[in-house]
Amino acid sequence: MTDRPALSVALEDISKTFGPVHALRPTSLSVEPGEMLALLGPSGCGKTTTLRVIAGFETPDTGTVRIGGVDVTDLRPNRRNLGMVFQNYSLFPHMTVGQNIAFGLRMRRVDKATQGQKVRDALALVRLAGFEDRFAHQLSGGQQQRVALARALVTDPSVLLLDEPLGALDKNLREGMQFELRQLQKRLDITSILVTHDQEEALTMSDRVAVLSAGEILQVGPPSAVYERPRNRFVSEFLGTANVFEATVERAEGGRLALAVAAGTATVRSLVPGEGILGGRRLVAVRPEKIDVARNGDGIPARVVEHVFRGSYHAYSLEVPGRAVPVFAYRQTPLVDGAALAPGDAVRLGWPAEWLVLLDDEAP
Amino acid sequence: MRARRRRRTDWAKVGLGTFVVLFFLFVMAPIVVVVVVSFGEAEFISFPIQSVSLRWYRRIVEYRPFIDSLLVSLQLAFSSALLACLLGIPAALALARSQRPLAQALATFLLAPLSMPAIVLGFALLYYLSALGFGVSFDALLVAHTVIAIPYVTRNVIAVYRAVPGDLEEAAAILGAGRFETFRLVTLPLIKPGVFAGSLFAILISLDNLPISFFFGTSSTNTLPVVMLSYLQNQFDPSVAAVCTVQMALAVVALLVVERIGDIRSASV
Amino acid sequence: MTAGDIAAVPARRRRARRFVGLGLGWSLLAVGFLLAFFLLPLIDNGIKSFFGPDGFSTAPYRKLLSDPYYLAVTWRTLQVSAIVTVASLLVGYPVAYFFVRYAGRWQTLMIMLLIAPLLTSIIMRTFGWQVLFARRGVVNVVLRDLGIIERPLNLVNDPAMVYVGLVHVLVPFMVLSIAAVLQRIDPRLEESAMILGAGRLRAFLSVTLPLSLDGVATGCILVFMLTNGSFITMLLLGGGNVVTLPLLIYQQFNLTRDTAFAGAMGNVLLVFAVACLFVQLRLIARRGVKA
Ligand SMILES: Nc1ncnc2c1ncn2[C@@H]1O[C@H](COP(=O)(O)OP(=O)(O)OP(=O)(O)O)[C@@H](O)[C@H]1O
Ligand SMILES: [Mg+2]
Repeated sequence: MTDRPALSVALEDISKTFGPVHALRPTSLSVEPGEMLALLGPSGCGKTTTLRVIAGFETPDTGTVRIGGVDVTDLRPNRRNLGMVFQNYSLFPHMTVGQNIAFGLRMRRVDKATQGQKVRDALALVRLAGFEDRFAHQLSGGQQQRVALARALVTDPSVLLLDEPLGALDKNLREGMQFELRQLQKRLDITSILVTHDQEEALTMSDRVAVLSAGEILQVGPPSAVYERPRNRFVSEFLGTANVFEATVERAEGGRLALAVAAGTATVRSLVPGEGILGGRRLVAVRPEKIDVARNGDGIPARVVEHVFRGSYHAYSLEVPGRAVPVFAYRQTPLVDGAALAPGDAVRLGWPAEWLVLLDDEAP
Repeated sequence: MRARRRRRTDWAKVGLGTFVVLFFLFVMAPIVVVVVVSFGEAEFISFPIQSVSLRWYRRIVEYRPFIDSLLVSLQLAFSSALLACLLGIPAALALARSQRPLAQALATFLLAPLSMPAIVLGFALLYYLSALGFGVSFDALLVAHTVIAIPYVTRNVIAVYRAVPGDLEEAAAILGAGRFETFRLVTLPLIKPGVFAGSLFAILISLDNLPISFFFGTSSTNTLPVVMLSYLQNQFDPSVAAVCTVQMALAVVALLVVERIGDIRSASV
Repeated sequence: MTAGDIAAVPARRRRARRFVGLGLGWSLLAVGFLLAFFLLPLIDNGIKSFFGPDGFSTAPYRKLLSDPYYLAVTWRTLQVSAIVTVASLLVGYPVAYFFVRYAGRWQTLMIMLLIAPLLTSIIMRTFGWQVLFARRGVVNVVLRDLGIIERPLNLVNDPAMVYVGLVHVLVPFMVLSIAAVLQRIDPRLEESAMILGAGRLRAFLSVTLPLSLDGVATGCILVFMLTNGSFITMLLLGGGNVVTLPLLIYQQFNLTRDTAFAGAMGNVLLVFAVACLFVQLRLIARRGVKA
């Protein structure tokens, strides 16, 4: 595949309704050249619609789509020079693998000899050399997936769109393909947009993650930033697990807030960056792996309810008096003060102030 | 206990099985009889036949009306199926995937000729087309048979096209295919089984059609069934059996051809 | 939209375009063709049947509905359809049941045997019955050889022959309709009813039969509708003993050319067909809701 500069993609105030359904509320999003952006969100939140607007299959009600800075909103899909991998691959069942891959080249009036060469190269790229004459139904799911990828890449598209490309594969295969796809994308330096509802996939494969909910983009940023600094309750709970507490603002000055989290008989105080009003009630979140567990001290009193060993870590669910949902804590070791934590143990919980995340949401 | 249960299961199966065998004897008997009779030697129809001969097949060739009407029938069947494809395929593609109530209503309307008694349609069309100046002509027959053929083509293409995932055509579009190329290279090959099955039924129905055709009968527009009916009403010799057998053979050949090209299991009668 | 409405919309809303697939407009050719050559002729026929040589008249309909002979023909048309429908159901249901539950690897053969008659012309099948039941036909010969009868029976023009011929032509439609629905019923439902203590027959009657009523209804409507329009069987096997509306239309057209009256009979037939179509659409709609 040739060297061509990677292009950017920009959505400006795109909205789309289907009858009464707001599939996309006015949404803006920009994808940098060569970047892999993951669109992550629950079912029905508008991921596929976003991708289809970029592809040109859906006309947005309002707004502009730009590819490489050029307004393509009114360009037909076949003129946008995009590559797309569909969720169920959508290989043409009446064509061989070779014909499938050559289809885009044929449409671009590439001569036969070049077509053959490019098809071979593309198959080699996805490690399927020699599969030209098979039909799609003679391939395994993973092989079909790779043919679909080869077909999308062979025309040297300016942007690669992937709609849950690995959704139909089993777990082991999926993890292998995640890695392979990411390597390929980096090597080809192609701007890519990956739709997924699998948070792990989004975190491991992308340069940036955009979290959608009900047709709105809630947060965009590098995986670690979105994970560690979720902006609101939805993002914190959709991406991984979060312990959400209510906090009271005790002091607000110089861009910092002093928060008090009262639970059970104890109050934990932390100083965090942020703006707010004195006496305001806010939500805060702490990731389970940031929870400190001690046998005693002045933390939040809790009791161990359950312990699950998850291979790389130990997960505990803890009951805090007066709190409806349990607090989760993930630890590398079961030992606390030299003895293993067991269900029934009374403990005290706390967290380092820097891992307390102030969320946008007001407490109810 | 166990043994008794097993024997009871068998009874139901044996009873039903016997019934089914008798049923198929009933279904096949008149057909087999006609085929056998067509190979008879005698002047009159008798079954079982005394000796085998092909004289009644020679008689078909000699009796002009049979050959003439067979040619009319074939021409009619194929041209009405073709016309029905030209009209019905675009309609089927337009209606198959639409969820709009209007689309469903139109699809129902396109199938409606199947539910109307053909004799009434034939009668009404005769006077209607005469008023339009078509009169009793091959064109009038063609129009009438196309009315009957459209539902078969439409229904089969709709069924097949509904089973084709929509993203195949989108995949073609994103790969650079325009509307026409997408249709020619992706849609058409994928709906081919439906087109063939629909055309096959349209052709078979047209070849067998009597309630419409007999209204339009003249010496130059008589179809095979019309000629056979009048022959049957006047003479009772085995040549009709021979014609029937030839007609059936043609149908079987057509079926085999379609079965090779398309997937007949996706067809609906 | 008024000017005020437009001002209220913040940005102009783009019209959605279609990039793959065909718009509804593409169905207009076929729809137009059927409007012109299917619907209009039937409407035209309906109107014309009210206009005799001396202007508007309901005479054909009055004749049809008051003359005992024609009333009997109309009544018989429905009667024949009903009898053939019930007979096809009684014959077809066990076959469909066997096909779905027991046929196993014989299914392909059964399908072929069910479709085979559809490949032959109605004339062929009717002719076959004539041969079988002729004076010197197989049935008479066998019956005589068995000593059951002395002189050949005159079977060909017996009304019963019409029913045999019609059931023969139409029963495959019944079997296919019922089998299509039976196929979707899990046999384990019947088995679990048996585990709960129901006898084999009870299990069938209380579980499978009710669930298959959808297919039974579809098949019955289809057969009823098709019988309603048949006349070749009556013509060739009935010997003038089973006169129904379509046969009468055929005869009137061939003999008297009384078009207004034939048109009126056609319209009565059409009303029956539209009623069947209506029931059929209701069935489909109900099934659509369930699916
Ligand atoms: N063609 C359409 N007609 C009507 N509504 C639609 C259409 N396409 C999408 N929608 C609706 O728009 C919303 C967003 O759908 P979309 O397919 O973008 O969700 P998604 O995020 O891809 O979900 P999933 O993870 O389930 O694929 C949904 O409520 C859906 O029902
Ligand atoms: Mg989706």
